Amino acid sequence: MRKAMVLFASLFAAVAWGSSGAAEGEKEDVAGYILHHVADAHELEIEIPLSHDHVTIHLPQILIPFKAGACEPRMTDHGEVIPGILAGCLDISITKHTVMMWLAAVLLIGSILIWSNRDKTKLVPRGTGANLFEMLVLFVRDELAIKNIGKEEGPRYVPYLLTAFFFILFMNLLGLFPWMASATGNLAVTCGLAVCTFIVTQIAGIRAAGLGGYLAHLTGGVHPLLWPIMIPVEFLGLFTKPFALTVRLFANMLAGHIVIFFLLGLIFILQHPAVAMVSVPFAFGIYLLELFVAFVQAYVFTMLSALFIGMGVAMGHHAHEEHGHGHKETGPSHDHGKAHA
Amino acid sequence: MFLPSVLAASSFVEVRPGLIFWTIVTFVLVMVVLRWKAWGPILQLVQERETQISNSVESAKKMLVEAEQKMAEAKEAIAKARQEAAETVRKNQAEMTAFRDEMMAKSRKDADEFKASARREIDEQKAKAIAEVRAMAVDLSIEVAGKLINERMDDSKHRALADQFVQGLPVGGSATARRSA
Repeated sequence: MRKAMVLFASLFAAVAWGSSGAAEGEKEDVAGYILHHVADAHELEIEIPLSHDHVTIHLPQILIPFKAGACEPRMTDHGEVIPGILAGCLDISITKHTVMMWLAAVLLIGSILIWSNRDKTKLVPRGTGANLFEMLVLFVRDELAIKNIGKEEGPRYVPYLLTAFFFILFMNLLGLFPWMASATGNLAVTCGLAVCTFIVTQIAGIRAAGLGGYLAHLTGGVHPLLWPIMIPVEFLGLFTKPFALTVRLFANMLAGHIVIFFLLGLIFILQHPAVAMVSVPFAFGIYLLELFVAFVQAYVFTMLSALFIGMGVAMGHHAHEEHGHGHKETGPSHDHGKAHA
Repeated sequence: MFLPSVLAASSFVEVRPGLIFWTIVTFVLVMVVLRWKAWGPILQLVQERETQISNSVESAKKMLVEAEQKMAEAKEAIAKARQEAAETVRKNQAEMTAFRDEMMAKSRKDADEFKASARREIDEQKAKAIAEVRAMAVDLSIEVAGKLINERMDDSKHRALADQFVQGLPVGGSATARRSA
């Protein structure tokens, strides 16, 4: 293994040495290169190895104006700029990360359909794919849904949690392949995912507590005089959880890619091929770490989603208990300690 | 140094509403497809399996209890049968003993009776024989005496005499011994 790594590193160094002559003239803007690669774009750039060429696929720009003429490009200091949503223009252009997300979705659906394809008349799975798949499904159901949400409400949210877990996992992993990118390294994507969790959480809360109980919960159960203080606090509290989800996933995925790019970029910053002997093994290590992080972040997102949904479900119980709505809970109580955590 | 300018120039901290829209749309579509094709069937299968397993365990438990009960019943029946058999044997033995005793007693009684009747007959026959011998002896002696004295004797007077004589004779072998002497 170590031998193979040394061989790999020296090979990489040799290639870098060979190409360094060509790169001598142009000063590489490493930081610009990296940020260009991790950022979203309106085109797909597919680099051709061992050359400076790349194939560029331009992606369609779709603009939906809410009022006539809202999407007219405006000239500013930075060049032509398309007005934002506040100006009444919704830009739903297909971008690099959109494509990556769709690719991940297609791969996800394809592989899950292959894995889950089995003799439905037999209750026991056969084969690696079916077993692995069922193991993951059972893990999400038993360890995430039922532990955090409860035995009778938990199973209802299993499909959501499973989809979140696998979708995020596939998007994370996709970025580890050459020419691909992690859609989860984009704030908008993680924000979209967090919005889904947010919506599901609120629905769970309303389902459990009823609309009245849900609204009562927003008052924090204090004296009406304190409501002007309490309601904004509770209202903001609703958004901190999805915000944490958004930033955590985004930062984790982005940071890993930037670190790998920088380790490799060191070769070009220091302008010496020997750097590859150090930076390539390091980048390889970070790559493995990224592989691990891809799973961990998918798990963390799903686990926290389950936790938040569990809090929403528990809201019903503690709305009744704390605000004394005078109707006795018959169902088994949820984990209140966890709900307050 | 370059970071602020890079951050300003780069779009990676920008949140594009369009992408949020696409994310939600994609996510919902993926969820619908997977729920329909994968999660639904698999969760149903798992549920079915769990129910089946718990049912099997339950019925196994029930069967075990039943088996234990049956085992206890069988044991009880065996013990009862054994006890009954022992009792029967004992009863038979007692009957046998009683029967044997009865038979023994009966045969003993029969034998005793037979012995007694035989003895009685012997005694009778003996007495008869003696009486006959005596009568014959009287006649004989009268005849002998008549021939000896050659005269007619008064029947009743002499018969009494002869009787007296015969009475004086010893019974059995001693009489013959005297006669031969």
